[in-house]
Amino acid sequence: MAMLEEKAVSLSGLTENEAKEFHKIFVTSFMAFTGIAIVAHFLVWSWRPWLPGPHGYTTSMLDGVVGHITTLLT
Amino acid sequence: MFRVWLLFDPRRVLVALGVFLFVLALLIHFILLSTDRFNWLEGPRTGAPVSQMSSVPPK
Repeated sequence: MAMLEEKAVSLSGLTENEAKEFHKIFVTSFMAFTGIAIVAHFLVWSWRPWLPGPHGYTTSMLDGVVGHITTLLT
Repeated sequence: MFRVWLLFDPRRVLVALGVFLFVLALLIHFILLSTDRFNWLEGPRTGAPVSQMSSVPPK
């Protein structure tokens, strides 16, 4: 019984120090992953933004006007 | 915050997180490849304009 009480540390089996140590690595890796993701999203947004305006994706200022005229004429 | 690792086994969390992120990334990449605007390998399918999802239906 005495041995069991010494071994039982937590539900996951980690001691507080082990948890702190793992947490440090986890946070660092998470921040690195997030940083890479932010850079990737910035690059893709500059390639092609993924949120269209109210008239869809427009490549020039004329696109919206042409769309309105064609809907008016038909 | 570090006390979550006293509750959850780090090994299982890492495996679950890895599998989840991998499947999510694969899903998003395939969805993007299936669109005309964001297919970076083939470009838009022939005949399809780059601007899709327009409010004006194609004639």
